[in-house]
Amino acid sequence: MRMLIAFLVALTVIFCLFPFIWMVMTSFKTRILAIDPSVWIFKPTFENYLAVFTRRNLAMYIKNSVVVVVFTTLLSMLLAVFAAYGFARFRFKRKEDLAFWVLSLRMLPAMSVVIPFFLLGRFLHLLDTHILLIIVYMSFNIPFAIWMMRGFIEEIPRELEEAAWVDGCTLFQGVVKVVFPLVMPGLAATAIFIVIQSWNEFALALFLTSFAARTVPTTITFFLSVMGVIWGEMASVGVITTLPVLLFALFVQKYLIRGLTFGAIKS
Amino acid sequence: MGLKSADYWSSRRYLYLFVGPAILSLVLIVILPTIFLWYVSFTSYDLGMGWEKRAFVGLRNFYFLISGQDREFWPSVVVSLKYMVISTIIEFILGFAIAILFNRKMIGKRLWMSCLLVPLTVTPAVVALMWKLMYNTEYGVINYILGFLGISVNWLSSSMALISVIIVDVWQWTPFVALILYAGLQALPQEPYEASMVDGASSLQVFRYITLPMMRPMITIAILLRSIDALKVFDTVYGLTQGGPGNATELLSLHIYRLGFQHTGWIGRSSAAAIVLLLLTTALSTYLLKALRRDYKAGEGI
Repeated sequence: MRMLIAFLVALTVIFCLFPFIWMVMTSFKTRILAIDPSVWIFKPTFENYLAVFTRRNLAMYIKNSVVVVVFTTLLSMLLAVFAAYGFARFRFKRKEDLAFWVLSLRMLPAMSVVIPFFLLGRFLHLLDTHILLIIVYMSFNIPFAIWMMRGFIEEIPRELEEAAWVDGCTLFQGVVKVVFPLVMPGLAATAIFIVIQSWNEFALALFLTSFAARTVPTTITFFLSVMGVIWGEMASVGVITTLPVLLFALFVQKYLIRGLTFGAIKS
Repeated sequence: MGLKSADYWSSRRYLYLFVGPAILSLVLIVILPTIFLWYVSFTSYDLGMGWEKRAFVGLRNFYFLISGQDREFWPSVVVSLKYMVISTIIEFILGFAIAILFNRKMIGKRLWMSCLLVPLTVTPAVVALMWKLMYNTEYGVINYILGFLGISVNWLSSSMALISVIIVDVWQWTPFVALILYAGLQALPQEPYEASMVDGASSLQVFRYITLPMMRPMITIAILLRSIDALKVFDTVYGLTQGGPGNATELLSLHIYRLGFQHTGWIGRSSAAAIVLLLLTTALSTYLLKALRRDYKAGEGI
């Protein structure tokens, strides 16, 4: 029995890790080795990483991704944190209906959002700009952030704020001095989730940018046409794209389930 | 004490101040574009023409899709539903099995469970290319390993491609389902189990009558998120097959792309297909969110 459990755990772990490890290995292989799956031990080369920065202009795409991610995160957090407080604390009619309407926006298919934004971008000459992408990304990050942070704020006892009011605090002072310091870890986790989701987004970025504002994930399309030639470079782009996300995910491991279920499950 | 709270937390003015900006932004960036999408779906607009040249065609775009003039429309809906149902079922069963597997004392559990995070953090577009490399018939590592058993599979051929993209979905999202259900198992109270021990219930009965009902909210959330995300998936399938070979993996989301952005540029027709996808996801999410609200009425959480 114990052997069986150990075997099953090993199988699960290998299944989860192997594709990623294989990509890391491929990124350190020369062009010839990259198409030889029988070689598992070899002298690593950094030529692929060099090539994607010198020949494929990866630094520019990383810069674009960073700009879009930073502004999306700041704007979404700013709008959502106050709305989250409103949903957590205020009593008003049809509150849950409104909250669930917000939640349903997270379910919107990217391919339905992309057409109107593509046309608006065309008419307003905003295609291939950071601004357009930032606005579109807010559409799925604000609903997420409202739900996530509402859960964190609801966990702070109301009495703390009421006590502060008795001491002469206004509503805003109570929010800033009492609630914010206590929900800081939750706010940070929410921001990190927005960073990850915006960094990984592909469909909207693919259709709304072409060159100047192009983000990192869309660069995989470079590798779709020239099939089977530059796997090493492709793998190194993959590793560079994934590493920051993995690091961020480790930061928020404690809140991961919560983030992936928009605050529904508080493990 | 607390008297003032009645003022602040039931004040309309403060409520609008807090909730207003976010709701207003959502209306601007989601509702208005959606209304615009509806409008475009009733026009003959095409990427090659000027905006002023568009004609109002009523329901003709929708008729073009559902009457079968567009030969790929219904097949794409079927492929989408197949993809959704199969991947959700496999992920749920596998995820539950993995959750139960980890729901016990073991050495190094935290480390093993951290490995589950890897698939769900890798950028989906990158996941697609990773698997494309592994699936390659001649030099893919999967066929290399299967070669020791004397098997060689043509993973991205028209008969296998849909199965292959579902496998990728399963790889990426099974750990996610497992983590949610594991959290549910960990949170179960002990008393009902002790009581059932006394009553001499079989382990299957315990699972059916105690574990499953108490896990309901987690199960609903897992199924809600996976089925809706599978219904609207674009990135992994686009990266792996672009809807091909032929239209073996042309999901509805890829059909929208093909109509509007590839070769044809029929934005009007593409918008009509996008409306169909929107209605499908809305119907499904409304239904599942209702179920979720019912589940949570009893417990805490949402």
